[in-house]
Amino acid sequence: MTDARKTPVDPVIEHFREHGSDGPPSHLDAFILATAHREAPVRKPSLWQRWVHACQKPRWQVAFASLVGVALMVTLVQRTPEQELQYDAAPAPKTSSFAARKEAPAPVARSLAAPPPAAPMAELAAPAQSESLSAPMADEAKVSKRSAAPVKPLDEQLREVIRLQNAGQTQAADELLKTLHQRFPDGNLAARLKALKKN
Amino acid sequence: MTAPELSTSASNDESLLARYRSGDGAAFETLYARHRQGLYRFLLGLSGKAELAEEVYQDTWLSLIRSTSQPQGRANFRTWLYQIARNRLIDHWRKHGIHNPLHDSYDEQAHAVIDTATDPEQLLSLSRDTQRLETALQTLPADQREVFLLRAHGDLDLPQIATLTETPLETVKSRLRYAQQKLRRLLAEEVLT
Repeated sequence: MTDARKTPVDPVIEHFREHGSDGPPSHLDAFILATAHREAPVRKPSLWQRWVHACQKPRWQVAFASLVGVALMVTLVQRTPEQELQYDAAPAPKTSSFAARKEAPAPVARSLAAPPPAAPMAELAAPAQSESLSAPMADEAKVSKRSAAPVKPLDEQLREVIRLQNAGQTQAADELLKTLHQRFPDGNLAARLKALKKN
Repeated sequence: MTAPELSTSASNDESLLARYRSGDGAAFETLYARHRQGLYRFLLGLSGKAELAEEVYQDTWLSLIRSTSQPQGRANFRTWLYQIARNRLIDHWRKHGIHNPLHDSYDEQAHAVIDTATDPEQLLSLSRDTQRLETALQTLPADQREVFLLRAHGDLDLPQIATLTETPLETVKSRLRYAQQKLRRLLAEEVLT
């Protein structure tokens, strides 16, 4: 847009600018300026100012206090289980128990090497409470469970060896015997086995 | 002068209007001070009556205060303000059944010739005082007077005047030229006396 000030001004125009009428009467100036101030649009407060203003209203104060209270409670509730979790043992993965079962020796040898659980599905059907126990406590529980289980007498297991040998399952009989040797290193198992065979 | 005051005085008209629209009352004061005299002189010269000029002047500013509109397109604030004032004056004439002198059509060349033959006694009675300058202005045809007033008191350039009055630029130029010639002759004769 062309700037009017750059256009050369005719002397007649300059003359009228200099000697023209003064301007509007002062009362008109005062009226217009007063109206402008009175009817000026209300300045929009910033987001922060609106937030502070809202927080100063009682009902918003209550709402804000309630919100803070709820947030505090939620925080506390969430923190409490975290502290208990420090004592919790991570539940043993089911796959590991199956894998252990797979890697275990023959069923017979296993039954002799370690006393069987009180119930066959006890491990799988173990209550959640046992899973929430810590690892050391779980180990202790297993040990106590083993000790509580009835241990087969040596003679009975030797008779099982004889029975397996007679049935032609020599490999199983040898494994069982090897296990018994480990369990009873001072047992003189050969002599005992011989005596049993005679009987 | 504080920093905000300095900023206000240095701002252009459009930004001052925007600031007033957002609640800055001081911006309006600056805007008003810039245009009060030019707009009033324009209305007084075009209407020829102080009462009517004051009424339209007040009406123009109040409509600006109460409106939320802004200058549209390439129009700047100055053009926009004078357009509002001109429309208000034409509305007043129409409302009161007064003939709109701006709609008079005449041969510019012929009128220029007639202007040179104005009554010598009237020319001799003119002087530099404000009242007599106003009287000299009133001797001009309304179309020429309007262009002269927009140029002298509105400080608008010729393309802006052409846009505002919806008149071809060449016509605006000739109207201004004839108005200046006549007024120059009147003032020169006045000096000679």
